[in-house]
Amino acid sequence: MVASPIRPLPSLPAELRANLPAELRGLRRDGVRLMVIDRTAQSIRHARLAELGSFLRAGDLLVVNRSRTIPAAVAARRSNGEIVQLRLCVRHAEEWHVLCVNPDPPHANVALRVGERLSVAGTDTVVRGRRADLPLLWRIDALSEGIERMLRSGEPIRYSYVPEPVPLSHYETVYANEPGSAETPSAGRSLSWELLLDLRRQGIDLSDILLHTGLSSLQDDAVDAEHPLFEEWFAVPPNAAQAVNRVPRVIAVGTTVVRALETAAGHDGHARAMEGWTRLRLGPGSPLRVVDGLLTGFHEPQASHFDLLRAFLAEPLLDRAYREAIAERYLWHEFGDLCLIL
Amino acid sequence: MGDLEATRLAGKVALITGASHGLGRALAIAFAREGAALALCARRAPALDEVASAVARLGADVLAVQADMRSARDLARLVAVTLDRFHRVDILVNNASELGPTPLPYLADYPPAAFDDVLQVNVTAPFRLTQALIGGMLLRNHGVVINVTSDAAITGYPGWGAYAVSKAALEGLTRTWIAELAGTGVRMYAVDPGDMDTDMHRAAMPDADPCELARPDDVARAFIQLVASPEPAPVGQRVEAAAFGR
Ligand SMILES: NC(=O)c1ccc[n+]([C@@H]2O[C@H](COP(=O)([O-])OP(=O)(O)OC[C@H]3O[C@@H](n4cnc5c(N)ncnc54)[C@H](OP(=O)(O)O)[C@@H]3O)[C@@H](O)[C@H]2O)c1
Repeated sequence: MVASPIRPLPSLPAELRANLPAELRGLRRDGVRLMVIDRTAQSIRHARLAELGSFLRAGDLLVVNRSRTIPAAVAARRSNGEIVQLRLCVRHAEEWHVLCVNPDPPHANVALRVGERLSVAGTDTVVRGRRADLPLLWRIDALSEGIERMLRSGEPIRYSYVPEPVPLSHYETVYANEPGSAETPSAGRSLSWELLLDLRRQGIDLSDILLHTGLSSLQDDAVDAEHPLFEEWFAVPPNAAQAVNRVPRVIAVGTTVVRALETAAGHDGHARAMEGWTRLRLGPGSPLRVVDGLLTGFHEPQASHFDLLRAFLAEPLLDRAYREAIAERYLWHEFGDLCLIL
Repeated sequence: MGDLEATRLAGKVALITGASHGLGRALAIAFAREGAALALCARRAPALDEVASAVARLGADVLAVQADMRSARDLARLVAVTLDRFHRVDILVNNASELGPTPLPYLADYPPAAFDDVLQVNVTAPFRLTQALIGGMLLRNHGVVINVTSDAAITGYPGWGAYAVSKAALEGLTRTWIAELAGTGVRMYAVDPGDMDTDMHRAAMPDADPCELARPDDVARAFIQLVASPEPAPVGQRVEAAAFGR
């Protein structure tokens, strides 16, 4: 339904990958830049996140994902003594679906044997098998202490463009509640309570959903390029559904919020309270039944994030925004700058 | 413990640090009697587990987490496992506290590493725990944080060095935070429990007459009063438990 890119998009210059969170770059958490894309006016403006309020109006609702990031990369010992790193992707009650990689960069995938025992921070678990749809994900017995083990010895999942061991707390949003995300719901990571409470005073309300994110990369370029889809646990509580249905404009903070709210949206354009696993895939032409705007980060065109952006932006404007972000030297990835689509 | 007044905290989730002895233990039992679900922590597991069993026998849903307030990882784990289990924390009581070396040395004689330890347990840990839990409280626009302080914060007794400094800092933390919470539904207090008959008091003042000291169970009732009262105490001040309905 939309024209494919007229010209291939330029690749992302390495120096535009944010390698530290803003608050460790001498800025405040909310000191990142904000690109504002107005779909009606077809305009792109440049501002700071701290000025978010001037682009919103009283009555707007910001919806955030309150899922807390867990230190989802944990060392495990195989029966032959080899040390591997498990990255928790999907956490079911009985079994976890984990990526198994070499502990050292570039963290290549390591093949396990079905039935083999692994010792994770002193507790044993068994490899039950691999996922039929995504064979890079191993099904292991859930650890009896749940995520306690991970919390004792795990580290946040850090990608190569973040060379320093940035502490877990910087991978958390300021409103993080229940733990469960393998990676930070990063669009909201730069929000500060100072900003959020200011917005509240301005009549811009805040509501929250829960969606535990899985891994954004399975450490295999070919597999990642196909944008593998796995289930993510989500909950849209009754008060969030009510708030969403009451207001004229709903701004999702992050694509995880879009995924949760649109899963809970009926054909009547109303959200209902629900919780469960979502497998919703949003892309060009997907209807957006309840979400009207999006605050999001900058992620590479190869990422599935870009598919979802196509549900908001027609290709020419997306193409323009991408080029302008590079030309204006916006920073990318989970510690980077933000973009508001209205 | 009038049954008529019981279960004023039904449906609430409270996290109490340093819950294995003294005031923390008394608070755990009092909160359980009022129907709260509880996350409790301390360093030494046996005494903690004993309190957890006692409150479970009172019908409370309880989670005991062995954690050292000096460890950032332990604090993060405490918060995460508590929220994984209960999905929210309505009441946080920063009670765990370190007195420092005893007999209490003068500041001029104070071992520097011990000074750091006292500040970590009594100031940094309450800051970190509160920061990690207040986000959820602000989302719900509802919650109570109690920082347990001492009169050592406002007097200058010789020998109370690091402890006095830490409690003064804790009160400063509370005041600033209260100002930043203005207009929200989240309340914060610094509560001075007064002299109580506990291990800490015995370590600080071995010669004190226990009969002249308050019993932690009685002091705990004042805390219940503070969190359960429909008319919250005026915020912005330190609250003395003795002055508050026992
Ligand atoms: N007693 C008094 O007269 C008095 C007067 C004014 C104020 N206060 C205040 O009241 C509160 C309670 O005092 P208390 O007399 O009940 O003390 P207590 O009898 O010494 O009990 C302290 C509790 O905190 C735990 N704790 C200590 N250090 C810890 C650490 N690093 N990590 C985790 N847990 C730790 C202890 O268990 P583990 O040792 O196993 O960790 C214990 O459960 C404190 O904030 C104190 O400053 C007391």
